[in-house]
Amino acid sequence: MATADQDGLVRRGFGRVRGLSRRLIDHPLPWLLPTLVALGVFQLYPMIEAVTMSLTDESLIRQGSEFVGLDQYTRLLSDPEFYEMLRITAIYAFSSVILHVLLGLVLALAIDYGVRRGLHGHLTTRVSVLLAWIVPGIIIGLVWKVMLVETEFGAVNHFLGLLGIGPIPFRSDPQLALVSTIIAGTWRGTAFSMIMIYGGLQRVPQRLYEAARVDGAGRWARFRHVTLPQLKPVLFVTTVLVTIYALNTFDLIFALTGGGPGRATQVLSLFMYEEAFEKYALGRGAAIAVVMLCINLLLTGVYLYMFDIGDEI
Amino acid sequence: MTDDGTERTDGGLAGEEKTVTDPASRTAFQRVRDRLPVIGVRPLDIVVYIVYGLAMVFFAFPVLWVVSASLRPEGELFSYPFRLFPQEVSLSAYEQVFSAGMMTWLFNSTIITVLGVASIIAVSVPAAYAFSRFEFRGRRGLLGLVLMFQMISSVIIIVPLYTVMTSLGLIRTRAGLILLYVGIQTPFSIWLLKGYFDTVPRELDYAARIDGCSRLQTLRHVLLRPIAPGIAVVAIFNTVLTWSEFVLAYTVLGTESDLHTISIGIYNFQSQFGNDWRAIAAASVVGMLPLVIVFIGLQRYFVKGLIEGSLKGQ
Repeated sequence: MATADQDGLVRRGFGRVRGLSRRLIDHPLPWLLPTLVALGVFQLYPMIEAVTMSLTDESLIRQGSEFVGLDQYTRLLSDPEFYEMLRITAIYAFSSVILHVLLGLVLALAIDYGVRRGLHGHLTTRVSVLLAWIVPGIIIGLVWKVMLVETEFGAVNHFLGLLGIGPIPFRSDPQLALVSTIIAGTWRGTAFSMIMIYGGLQRVPQRLYEAARVDGAGRWARFRHVTLPQLKPVLFVTTVLVTIYALNTFDLIFALTGGGPGRATQVLSLFMYEEAFEKYALGRGAAIAVVMLCINLLLTGVYLYMFDIGDEI
Repeated sequence: MTDDGTERTDGGLAGEEKTVTDPASRTAFQRVRDRLPVIGVRPLDIVVYIVYGLAMVFFAFPVLWVVSASLRPEGELFSYPFRLFPQEVSLSAYEQVFSAGMMTWLFNSTIITVLGVASIIAVSVPAAYAFSRFEFRGRRGLLGLVLMFQMISSVIIIVPLYTVMTSLGLIRTRAGLILLYVGIQTPFSIWLLKGYFDTVPRELDYAARIDGCSRLQTLRHVLLRPIAPGIAVVAIFNTVLTWSEFVLAYTVLGTESDLHTISIGIYNFQSQFGNDWRAIAAASVVGMLPLVIVFIGLQRYFVKGLIEGSLKGQ
């Protein structure tokens, strides 16, 4: 009697659990929960923590910290060094964007043309460009360190020597060091622009070209009046993404020049790293992080606006 | 085009031989250019071939040079004459790298990459399913938030990361780093997978539901097959990202050298060996080789994923 009762209870219990799990599975929350937890804990929480930290004088070598309000920001904004870092970051990002997008466009057009004409070598070219992109950032820094060895034994300096130039101090001259980081960055990043633009080219309706041809447009006119206008959204999106990417570059410069010589290649992310972990000023580092976060958010806003997210979701 | 040109096309090759003797009216360039249509090459083809050549040199040469530098015996890299290829192949630089702990770094990177990528897929497939198949309040906003996290660089969180990971008890652990990668890399994966789910018609779901499948069974038996290419793309992408990542790993793993990944190991190795380019080159080769192998085999999917993941709605 008692066992039958218990059996019934257990069965009903199971039934209820099953019913509950069935209802749960028809609700989006369980599906999204792991993602929400992961994003909350490892993205949102650190970002909030960065903002709170930037309002304190927290340090890596001292226990406890005090609330200092916006002190870190006012000090940062009155520091000429900060503006120097901003200037270097801007030069790095701006040159990178121009080179990435321009080279990416040329390569995408060349590969597209090669595929249509059945030329040899378009696949090898594509693979070479993409190969540079998957090399880990730290290793890219080292690869270019080896390429740009400053004596006549360095590969680049050897070939320049054959032309009667050099040897050039690629990493110890402040201005050349910045140029070297831009070249290494371009070496890595062009693949992304190339693929994006190549994807864009595939979506240009062929009938537009045919119509232009019927109207007697030459190759240049077709490029100027069909290809470019059709590519405009892709070019814009690529530019925004490359800008965000370039502004946050860290590993490549960290390995290639370490921000030096002096502070000639110290972009914002390296500046932040140095303040926080080499000078132990976590509060100040966090303030720089928040500045970077604002720049990122601003550009993301532009990107989302361009993306016309209303249609997509 | 000059008169010579038309004459030659009419007269064929024999005519061309004659016109060559008149250098005043025809430069070498023009002669080559006029000959092109005969062998089926347009002038623009030449320009494109030059672009290919320059691109291959710029993008492939550094990698090949590093391979070449790593295979030299000690001292050859800095002796006259300059050699593109090693005169004599030596693996001593590789011995040096492996005795510095390369096996540990490879092991750590492999385990973190495999577990990390598996976790990212396990988390992002259900989320992408939910975004594609459920209608719920706040869906747009949530998806926008996911996209926003995809755009914000992870470099920004390194300053508070030490404190955050310490308070979670995850500092200096592989598990902590793996979970961190899940948080950082799922947005892109969700975005990409949602695109694949959206291409599967909902009628398939309804049919399965009528046959008595639960949502979980529908996902497993009906939807998993059509989205499999998307899962492959997500796996390749995250493998590359996880294997290459440096600054988060450097911050989370700190000085715990038993846990160091390939990027950290190689970075420390080069600070230690300074100007030993041969050894640095060997370390670089070992560090990129696994990715290069994976990539060469799968680059087609890679390209597809890049376009689809970044350019939705265009």
